[in-house]
Amino acid sequence: MNFMDWYRADRLPTIFCVGCGNGTVINCALTAVSEVGWKREEVVFVSGIGCSSRAPGYIDADSLHTTHGRALAFATGIKLANPDLQLVVFTGDGDLAAIGGNHFIHACRRNVDMTVICMNNQIYGMTGGQGSPTTPRGALSTTTPYGAEEGTFDLTALSIAAGANFAARWTSYHVKELTNAIRAGLETPGFSFIEAAVQCPTGYGRRNRLREPEDMIEFFRTHSMLRQKYDRLLAEGKLVPPDTIVVGEFVRRDRPVLGGKK
Amino acid sequence: MKLVIDPRRCKGCNLCVKVCPYRIFRPGRRPNERGVVVPELDRPERCANCRLRRLYGRTICGVCQLTCPDQAIRWEEEEAYEPRKVAVEY
Ligand SMILES: Cc1ncc(C[n+]2csc(CCOP(=O)(O)OP(=O)(O)O)c2C)c(N)n1
Ligand code: SF4
Ligand code: SF4
Ligand code: SF4
Repeated sequence: MNFMDWYRADRLPTIFCVGCGNGTVINCALTAVSEVGWKREEVVFVSGIGCSSRAPGYIDADSLHTTHGRALAFATGIKLANPDLQLVVFTGDGDLAAIGGNHFIHACRRNVDMTVICMNNQIYGMTGGQGSPTTPRGALSTTTPYGAEEGTFDLTALSIAAGANFAARWTSYHVKELTNAIRAGLETPGFSFIEAAVQCPTGYGRRNRLREPEDMIEFFRTHSMLRQKYDRLLAEGKLVPPDTIVVGEFVRRDRPVLGGKK
Repeated sequence: MKLVIDPRRCKGCNLCVKVCPYRIFRPGRRPNERGVVVPELDRPERCANCRLRRLYGRTICGVCQLTCPDQAIRWEEEEAYEPRKVAVEY
């Protein structure tokens, strides 16, 4: 089965803007789900609210489109009620780390058996480009017209500190690596977190000199650094540019799992 | 195999132009009836998947299809190559 067979063809094209990275991440996630061989009846796609959270609506399988920030709470309920179901959660940086921040750390702490894919576009896309907990310092948004001054969350590091069994970060440029990481996450019992940096040309790129979709893809290509190289440079005391996106697999471990298959 | 772009799905983002290692996609020139400038294909028979999918029995490369945010790229089965008579005018 190809990832295209998972789409609800009658719902396409998507509502996403021209060149929005969300579609790419859905392609990669569905490819990973096809590769592990899960059937339509055994997987549930869950999301909160946001552009990224519209993903399950385009997938031909059972899904829940829940309230803003609460996807992980609903997903935990599904898993505990029926541990035989496989869970894939699509969420945005605002959905997961702002309003849903507490659900995020506690789902990691409980190590609930599910795979969470966060499309991190560093902005609130759906509501018109307000700053989010991942908007980088200096970036312009409608709520940071003179440049963001706050620090940001490193979502992958947060998931590791809170106890997730698997964590990886890639971008919408690295489609093959992202697919493999999602697949590894699906195969790892417990809470698997995959952060995918995606372009939001409308809410983020337009205000930050990355107007065309390909500008952001080019940014991901040139500013990504493998975790191993990043660690080596740090150990050698070398300088790493602050806008570097560190990519790769960060953790794969075997902490006790909540809600695993009986 | 034949590479095709579905003009009813494509939104003209040109990401396929950016990612194909063979530079098979070129930015289009004219908007179609939906107002979308769909990319043009430059000798698509060079595509790795068009040439090698049968041999390996799986998708080869496929980066454009995975990247396309609007699920507009696919491959169609093609009749085996038939020699054609070409009339040459002098
Ligand atoms: C309880 C509640 N508060 C606020 C909103 C408004 N709202 C809708 S989407 C959104 C932010 C979405 O941002 P993100 O999760 O990053 O997703 P994106 O649209 O960027 O993919 C907000 C604040 C809401 N729908 N419900
Ligand atoms: S606003 Fe941004 S995230 Fe939302 S559909 Fe448009 S490009 Fe995608
Ligand atoms: S990537 Fe897809 S939507 Fe974008 S221009 Fe190419 S075919 Fe069209
Ligand atoms: S499959 Fe690869 S070679 Fe073929 S058109 Fe797509 S990106 Fe280019």
